[in-house]
Amino acid sequence: MSGRRRWLGTDRGPLLSTAFVLVAGLIIAGGSANSYFGSVVILALTYAIVTAGMAVQIGFSQQVVFSQSVFMGLGAYGVAVLNGKVGWPSLLALVVITIASGGVAWVIGKAVSGASGLALAVATLMFPLIAFGYLSYANWLGGSIGLPLTGTLWPGGSATANGILTVVIVAAVVFATTRLVASDIGLEMYTLGVSENTAQAMGVRTSRRRLELFILGSVLATLGGAVYAGTQLFVPPTLVQATAELSLLIMLFVGGRRSVLGAVLGAVGIQYFTGISNTISVHILLIEGVLITVVLLIEPDGVAGIVSSLWRRAAPRLPFAELVATDAAYVPTPGLGQGEEAGISGELAVAEETQTSAFRRHFAARRADEAAATTTLLEVRGVAKEYGGLVVLRDIDLTLPERGIFGLCGPNGAGKSTLLGIVGGSIRPSAGTVILAGEDITALPAAERFDRGVSRTFQAVRLIRGRTVLDNVAVACLRSQRSSLLRGIVISRLPRARADAMEALEYLGLGELAHREVGSLTLETQRMVELARAMASRPSLLLLDEPASGLSEIQRERLRELLRAIGEVTCVLLVEHDLDLIAAIAERILVLESGALVFTGTGEEFRSSELVNSLLIGASPTTTPGGEQ
Amino acid sequence: MKLGNLIISGIVTGSIYAAFAACVALWYRVSNILNLAVGDFAMIGALGVDNLVRVHHWKLAPAIAATLGAVSLGAYLYDRIVLSLAQDGRTRQEGIVVTFFFTFALSFFLEGIAELLYGTDVHAAPAIWNGQSLSLGGGLHVDRAGVLVVAFAALVGVASVLVLRGTLQGKAVEACGENFFGARIVGIDNRKYRRLLFILSALLACVFGILESPITGYTYDSGAAISLTGFIAAAFAGFQKPGKAVVAGLSIGIIEALLGGYVSANYADTILYALLAAAVLIRPGAMGLDIVPE
Repeated sequence: MSGRRRWLGTDRGPLLSTAFVLVAGLIIAGGSANSYFGSVVILALTYAIVTAGMAVQIGFSQQVVFSQSVFMGLGAYGVAVLNGKVGWPSLLALVVITIASGGVAWVIGKAVSGASGLALAVATLMFPLIAFGYLSYANWLGGSIGLPLTGTLWPGGSATANGILTVVIVAAVVFATTRLVASDIGLEMYTLGVSENTAQAMGVRTSRRRLELFILGSVLATLGGAVYAGTQLFVPPTLVQATAELSLLIMLFVGGRRSVLGAVLGAVGIQYFTGISNTISVHILLIEGVLITVVLLIEPDGVAGIVSSLWRRAAPRLPFAELVATDAAYVPTPGLGQGEEAGISGELAVAEETQTSAFRRHFAARRADEAAATTTLLEVRGVAKEYGGLVVLRDIDLTLPERGIFGLCGPNGAGKSTLLGIVGGSIRPSAGTVILAGEDITALPAAERFDRGVSRTFQAVRLIRGRTVLDNVAVACLRSQRSSLLRGIVISRLPRARADAMEALEYLGLGELAHREVGSLTLETQRMVELARAMASRPSLLLLDEPASGLSEIQRERLRELLRAIGEVTCVLLVEHDLDLIAAIAERILVLESGALVFTGTGEEFRSSELVNSLLIGASPTTTPGGEQ
Repeated sequence: MKLGNLIISGIVTGSIYAAFAACVALWYRVSNILNLAVGDFAMIGALGVDNLVRVHHWKLAPAIAATLGAVSLGAYLYDRIVLSLAQDGRTRQEGIVVTFFFTFALSFFLEGIAELLYGTDVHAAPAIWNGQSLSLGGGLHVDRAGVLVVAFAALVGVASVLVLRGTLQGKAVEACGENFFGARIVGIDNRKYRRLLFILSALLACVFGILESPITGYTYDSGAAISLTGFIAAAFAGFQKPGKAVVAGLSIGIIEALLGGYVSANYADTILYALLAAAVLIRPGAMGLDIVPE
């Protein structure tokens, strides 16, 4: 019982979408496959297989490619050759060519998986030109006319049988892709699409995911092409033309590029209208050019976007209206330090936390660990960084224990963010080593440091737009780095990650905001969400880059209390311009100047230091003599 | 001799690629959009002039003027309506989808218009400088149209270097490319430069189309391939160095001509695109394609 629940998940979306496609498709295919209307719909469904993959790849994960029509051609010509020339049954040819296309996509994707999305987009822009140029003169593939098939998809089957088979394939594709999008892997892919750096900082293996995405989109395009061949029984070279690619993109954009169901309906709708109207099919370039521009301008999410915004407008009048309430008067109330304030003894607090959450238990155990304040966690030895001839950091040595707050200040351009980047793994040092818990991590990328407990926030808030607060935090709780994309289709670990994220949010007093979209939050709340995300992975080392910038005096005070509590359970390296804040909470303060460490001391020493005063004077009122005691 | 003539014809096509590369690169830096329609403006220029002269019996000069006027008006309206809505509103649309799809759609829109107005046959604008191809001695020949193309490309190249290096306006364009919001803060109107450069690119492309078409001829769908090749040349220069873009454009033109002459006339373009795609896939870092549009 519980096993079945886990497999099907709690999200009904994929099942409903699949059921809709299956029922609607079977009614049409079963009822009118022999009519002109039926044949247009079945042709449209072959395109829908391709656009469903595009919705995941191009829309949802923002991996822009222009190679779908070419892979469609691979599938169609592959089946045509294996069936028409070699004599295999079409269905067997379809299976073989679809699997083989995965290998082709792997080779192409591998070549580019280290580079940015721009390179993949540009390279694939040329694919339709290459493929069409080749096919037009390739006599063994029928040249500019094309290739015929001898057998339909369902061996010897009627139009109805082939139609039903097509509908079943489309439904299976819809089921797989909608489940993938709704899974933990889906969340990784979405994050990757929004920001590669953020994804890496959350442990996502970005080049692997990009490769898998490219293979997924290509394999589905090939499958669509193979079904096309098996139902249309003739494959023309125009299938791979750049205009064919445009048509596919139109279907995707009009239907809704981020929605699988939207993409399927877009394919059926566009194909239907071009099929029934001669005027439309003659002026297709003109119409498609205008249509894609209008969709981009008016509703980037196409028809699916219009439907969902109508739904959102209608939702407040429905019974669950409280989910869409506003947070105008929201004041964060950190739950982290509450135990101490209320005077609860350590033991009692632990007992209470046992009942509440694993998250709290983890931090309670860390707080109770006496040795943590002295055991070395991070060691930076002789780290230097230069860009060309410009020395940004020179010979930095730094040792931090497992617990406490350590401030890093200095004038602009002193190298603070660079040092943070070197510890976090986004910047490679020119010399020196970084050691975390005894392990040399100098060569490890950011994603692998995340696995080892290094977590960070960014100077400019980097939340994942378009997702809820809960999902933004859940990204840090996925632990799916080693999973393949296919696992996301079978089992989603998102519910568990969301449960973990919820604990982290409640820990920071942000529980009520879990279902809000992050774009609607104030800057303070966004910073708190980012902090929650950094804490949610239960880091041993937390890197904070100017968490107080842009916050008001009162907001800073709340942040200070929160940081103080976090410092009792984990090691915090804090870059901050607010010297007041830093002097109040940091156990030790380090001052960087022109890339060198010029001061190390406690808050008291920091306030009274002549050097610090002269370096940072004017940066904060506390550096005046009045701040001394 | 064959080699020499192929190289000459390569230089002619290559100088168009080079000019387009400069246009694409410059405009990308101002707008963060790749102009995939620049080749279609060349096609409109060639077929538009041809149509006015051949079908409507206009004189050549007014036909050219009318075509250039129509193209600049079209480019102006496109910027005013589409690009303004996309970029100048409260929420500036950004990201890789915007970088590619607006001009991708524009390219097909222009092809659709050309198909509607000019049909699907191969046509060319009438030659401006009539006569036999010029002999350079030693059996080398160059089309008079080719001379015009190269001369115009050189003129454009020199002019753009002078403007970019020597004037405040040129510096402002560079600043837009360096940092969009930074430029805006110091009072540079990006929108103005986006519009100006877009119209200018369209006009230049148009002129190239008119000058070059007597050599190769154009159909309604000739534009996309030219835009793409120009863009690749720009990418070779990392969108930064006009000098490298010119070298890349010329080299691509020459390689294309040599492939056509020695390897296969049918597959010359296909092989060229395959080589370019391979170059992009294997060495994206060398081509400035590892930068992510922010």
